[in-house]
Amino acid sequence: MLTALLQAAKQQKATDAVDFPDLPTDRGGLPKLTREPCLGSPCRACEAACPTGAITISGEGDQSRISLDRGLCITCGACMAVCPTSSIVPDPSTRTAVRRREDLVLQNISGDDSDSVPVLGEPCGGILNRSVDVRVVSTGCNATDQEVAATANPIFDCSRFGVQFVASPRFADVLLVTGPGGMAMHLPLLRCFEAMAEPRLVIAVGTCAISGGVHRGGYAGANGVAPHLEVSAFVPGCPPHPWSIIHGLMIATRGETDTRS
Amino acid sequence: MIPIKTLRIDIADWTSTVVPLARRHGWRYGHLTVRRDADQYRLLELLLLHPPTGAAEIVTAQIARADREFPSVTAGLPAAHWAERAIGDYWGLTAAGHPRWKSLAIHQELEALAPPFANSEEGRADPGESAFMTVAGEGVHVIPVGPIHAGIIEPGHFRFSCLGEVIANLEIRLGYQHRGIEASLAATPFRHARHVVESSSSDSTVASAIAHATAVENLLEVAPPARAGAIRTLALEIERVANHLGDLGALASDVGFSIGAALFGRHRGAALGLGQTLAGTRFQKGFVSPGGLAWAPQESSITDLTNQLPELEVRVEEACNLLFGNPGFEERLEGVGVLSPSLASEFGLIGPAARASGSSYDARRHYPHALYPGLDVDISGQAEGDALARATVRRQELCASWAVIHAVLASLPDGGVSVGIPDTLPGKRVAIGVVEAWRGELIHWITTDERGNIARYSIRDPSFQNWTGVSIAVRNNLVADFPVINKSFNLSYSGNDL
Repeated sequence: MLTALLQAAKQQKATDAVDFPDLPTDRGGLPKLTREPCLGSPCRACEAACPTGAITISGEGDQSRISLDRGLCITCGACMAVCPTSSIVPDPSTRTAVRRREDLVLQNISGDDSDSVPVLGEPCGGILNRSVDVRVVSTGCNATDQEVAATANPIFDCSRFGVQFVASPRFADVLLVTGPGGMAMHLPLLRCFEAMAEPRLVIAVGTCAISGGVHRGGYAGANGVAPHLEVSAFVPGCPPHPWSIIHGLMIATRGETDTRS
Repeated sequence: MIPIKTLRIDIADWTSTVVPLARRHGWRYGHLTVRRDADQYRLLELLLLHPPTGAAEIVTAQIARADREFPSVTAGLPAAHWAERAIGDYWGLTAAGHPRWKSLAIHQELEALAPPFANSEEGRADPGESAFMTVAGEGVHVIPVGPIHAGIIEPGHFRFSCLGEVIANLEIRLGYQHRGIEASLAATPFRHARHVVESSSSDSTVASAIAHATAVENLLEVAPPARAGAIRTLALEIERVANHLGDLGALASDVGFSIGAALFGRHRGAALGLGQTLAGTRFQKGFVSPGGLAWAPQESSITDLTNQLPELEVRVEEACNLLFGNPGFEERLEGVGVLSPSLASEFGLIGPAARASGSSYDARRHYPHALYPGLDVDISGQAEGDALARATVRRQELCASWAVIHAVLASLPDGGVSVGIPDTLPGKRVAIGVVEAWRGELIHWITTDERGNIARYSIRDPSFQNWTGVSIAVRNNLVADFPVINKSFNLSYSGNDL
């Protein structure tokens, strides 16, 4: 035991020094749109490369328009790998969760100065400001499960933000859903929600939980949690980064994204 | 390339032919499934592997149109029992003579779902023993658990029949995450299929992507450039390291050794960081692609990776010494959840779970994927078959993975990272990809139709083969030991459910 304590004491601080740090990525991760002029309809390389139909291109020249739905994006990086104009680039931000589904859709008109980063919706939390008990229900993505579990490890240490994972829905304030939710999980998911006391919120974590991702439209009805429950925060990514998951919990339960307020 | 010999037999001779074929010396059971030919006949197909030569054999028999059943081989080849039940669910066919016939993935929660690969005339399989097997006798009580579990893990239903605190029988019902992946792979344009396979069991993204890429490359008879093979090897071993660290941390957590859990949780995070350095994201999504890699990592990424390794290696070694040197950890796992070598072999277990029960099979030694089998991997096993042996195998595999990563980085080939892949696949071909994923041998099996479309895409996840091992290992153990036994296997539910 003494050896264990000595070794524990020897460890330097594991926790990230900064909350919601930018990711050191030049590839992969969630894409974002830039103001670099896109070639528009004559190109459409990203649209063809996207396996989930998250991107639509219209117009050309000054009028070319990109629409990117991060709720469908499985972060495969295929669009960024083929874009000739750097109009779609990796987004290093970990503050990627939104409250409204439509805010996951980024739009950009070439040359337009309007910002492509979505605007946050109205606050919806309040009572869950300081202490949030979370019941996780996995419905088909073990990578996202791993990233949710990682939020509790010493690197991210979500208990600093008042977040605890609980075993019973009876104790839970938040139902955190991962995976696309195929038919066999529809009933267990609803039963879990019904077992929770109010106030209660649902958070969809990962692109599959938001829309079904690559599974969308198949015979197994794996189209995400939104058809079954009202969702208070959407965390895109495949899987989302642990910081983004904490961001989702924060924006759903607090009024703002400043975690230390 | 994996040479595949095909053998066509009459369905009447199925059991008498395939059982002796599978039991030949040196041969292993691979997978059993059904596909449809151009005339819409259902073909029963058995894949056998011959690791000593790196070859494979497919035995095929046509099922008559009116038939609702096929002959079961489970009595002579227990490794096939899970696959026969899957055929029942997905094709509506009953395995005649199966000793424990019941559904595998599509059960009463999914009553609305017709067998996805059956046409309307073919109907459903005999539901068989659809209820859970009950253990009779005085004092027997039943503990139902799931599908939603207490922790942050995937859904599945476990039903324990217990005598006091001792488990007499465990029935495992999976399928809660059935997403229709195999059907989707036959419908998706093959250029996008790589993204679907990565989600089959997303904690094994790299292994799935390599299995898919290898199968497609075998179909097309192309080979990825040497540099791509080397970087695929790095990606696969990083995935193995990260997950083995996660498993050891979870075991530490389950025995209440929180310092160990915290240390391994941290190191697992650092190992995922290696993946991010190499491939841009922690799970290396979209990185491996048929023909090589989807993009070339920058030189600086390789340098950063090389620089990050030594510190993590030292820290992992320290954490392992602490965990395995802790008498509490050792005592808690020793003799718990024993899976005997003979049962592990009969039920065709693979991966670390099998290597903890005396097996020496590792696909990295035998089947071409990434730079394997050209690299010398240190395969060290255990014979005890208990939870401690399964933990120890993971520790040994961490060391072997570091050695592989260093060897690859020391002689990383130059050049490009991808070769062009045509837009269509060749028609009427079959190919497999066999990869040693961190949970064990993963098989992707692709058959194309005459126009070059994917007619059947079959995935044999390692967990599909290993779930039986959990059922066997928990027998006569305490209910309170189930979490560590389950964690010592740490199988994928989604890889099984597809």
